[in-house]
Amino acid sequence: MLVGLLMLGGGVAAGAFGSVLGLGGGVLIVPLLTLGFGLPLREAVGVSLICVIMTSSAAAGVYLERHVANMRLGMTLELFTAIGALVGGSIAFLLSERLLSFLFAGLLLYTAAMMARGRPAEPDVESGTETDPDADAPGATEPAPPRQPTQLERLSGDGYHVRNLGRGVVGATGAGVVSALLGIGGGTIKVPLMHLAMGVPLRVATATSNMMIGITAAASAVIYIIHGGIDPYVAGPTGIGVFLGATAGSRLSHRIALRYLRLMFVVVLVYTALQMLLRDVA
Amino acid sequence: MTDSIQPTAPAATMSDRSAAAERLIGQLLIAVTYVAVGLLAIGVLLMIANGISPLSEGPPLDLATLASDLLALEPAAYLWLGLLTVVAAPIGRVIVAAIAYAREADWLMVGVSLAILAVIAIGVGSALTVTV
Repeated sequence: MLVGLLMLGGGVAAGAFGSVLGLGGGVLIVPLLTLGFGLPLREAVGVSLICVIMTSSAAAGVYLERHVANMRLGMTLELFTAIGALVGGSIAFLLSERLLSFLFAGLLLYTAAMMARGRPAEPDVESGTETDPDADAPGATEPAPPRQPTQLERLSGDGYHVRNLGRGVVGATGAGVVSALLGIGGGTIKVPLMHLAMGVPLRVATATSNMMIGITAAASAVIYIIHGGIDPYVAGPTGIGVFLGATAGSRLSHRIALRYLRLMFVVVLVYTALQMLLRDVA
Repeated sequence: MTDSIQPTAPAATMSDRSAAAERLIGQLLIAVTYVAVGLLAIGVLLMIANGISPLSEGPPLDLATLASDLLALEPAAYLWLGLLTVVAAPIGRVIVAAIAYAREADWLMVGVSLAILAVIAIGVGSALTVTV
């Protein structure tokens, strides 16, 4: 009974944390189950996948209903993350995991520094005109006829314009490759990518990331279930806790000041980077 | 400061139809997740009633006996049905999104949705082929 309550409580914390930051909460669940309850790593990762999907669905449902998450952008990037994960799984044996995780830790620390500086991600209202071929046409004095929105405009949301789609596609593919190679959630890459490189506001980026992480985790979870890698007795209480935490987190996230949201994200990035470096050293 | 939402060009705003579709998908996700949590909660209550510790090894999924185990009020059966519902939610979300985009005649996004499903299917298929 006590063990079940502790799993439930841990799940609540992981779900709230994951839904607010768009990370899924696996960064808390795996240490909780391995260090706290002595579960084998493989089993903990299996339960963590269930928790990531639970966080994603509970939070994304709320964020989509409130139009905070950007579904078109999320699905477009998700396609490339899925392709990246497929490629990453195929080339895993060709690369040195130690070198890769060392490089990735460096990238995380760099991203943390950029996030800490809080730049750039200004809502780029002007950039939409860059994609309009008629915007700067000389002598365009007549009112422009109604036109179809460009693809970037269709991916944009109320109050911001998405930019650098090419960079986003490359980054999302890289996030998939790194996720498959290192077994880390893609949220640590996707949120800064959308926020820093594509001009998406931080709240929209975390909400969209929440939506995206569910589908790749679901694909992995199917494989884990088929191979008996998920224990229902552990996943049950932990999953309920994660649902409660994620629901509360997604409903309260707009009350958290942006600077605290940013600070929390920076702390997670630095923590993950240090964990990877320590793993390398060990 | 950097995340303030400013007025934007009309072309960038969401159409009413897209907004309604997203709201519907959000509500469906929430509803399916509630169903999953309900099933998990029944499973956990049955675990408590049967004195099963979360640290005792749970049985693997057996689809052949799932229905009869549900009728027999086996805790693991309810937990597995809940877990399968959890896993189905995001996959179902992509399928519903594809249908919604098709109704909007947004064929590019229909293609994106179907491509996501195809890539996921290839990934699961290749993983099973390699490991079985």
